[in-house]
Amino acid sequence: MTPSVLEVVLLVFVLTSALGAALLKDTLAAVMAFAAYSLGISIIWVLLQAPDVGLTEAAVGAGVMTILLLIALANTVRPSEDQLFERVRPRTVLAVGAFVLVMGATVPALPAVGATDSPVGSGEVTDYYLDNAYEETEVHNAVTAVLAAYRGFDTLGEAVVVFVAGVATLTVLRTEAFA
Amino acid sequence: MVNVEAALLVGAGAFVAFAIVGLYRILQGPTMHDRVVAVNVVGTNTVIAIALVAGAYDNQMFLDIALVYALLNFLLSIAISKFSVEHGGVL
Repeated sequence: MTPSVLEVVLLVFVLTSALGAALLKDTLAAVMAFAAYSLGISIIWVLLQAPDVGLTEAAVGAGVMTILLLIALANTVRPSEDQLFERVRPRTVLAVGAFVLVMGATVPALPAVGATDSPVGSGEVTDYYLDNAYEETEVHNAVTAVLAAYRGFDTLGEAVVVFVAGVATLTVLRTEAFA
Repeated sequence: MVNVEAALLVGAGAFVAFAIVGLYRILQGPTMHDRVVAVNVVGTNTVIAIALVAGAYDNQMFLDIALVYALLNFLLSIAISKFSVEHGGVL
């Protein structure tokens, strides 16, 4: 599979903005680089034919995260920048580079995008869900049935995490409601 | 028809390339105002790129995402502008 022009340009854009978000000294500039990163990654979701994930990325990544980070900045002190980028120790570069190499080594083991013989497309579990989801849960959407019924406890755990994070945020901000 | 699709995708690639130019201004941009405008430019390019991809794949739902992004892009610029003008005010 040869990457198209769009994919190459997108990857360059996303990697550059991610590096900027990580390395920029000024925190407000890093927040903006993170917003740009989120905008780029949404195009990748759309390209991979996952519009629902793209919508979530739009709402959470670009919208809520940026405003949350700005509120956090407003309640903390922003040091005046003396240089543009953070100084990085060579040891850190080595460790991160080794991690990226190890993670990258697993990529060839993944099935190709849209492959019909991948476990997701041909597995027994998928067929079971598609055949029995409506009789067992009476939910029309198979994805919703898996999330809310078959993996109900998993979803409950996620909801608990989100709730705790919200309470912790309110505690840190010393308010009683998200105004 | 295949040619139109390829042309739309290459056009989307060109707009993302423009976004990379805007990204340079976000990273380098001497003042905060440069960065606010640059983020807005990147967001607008994103909206156009998603709309072009929607045309290439002939999928109407992608256009909804482009609309959501156009709204959020506006919100983003307002929030950052307000934050940098009156420190502490976000919304």
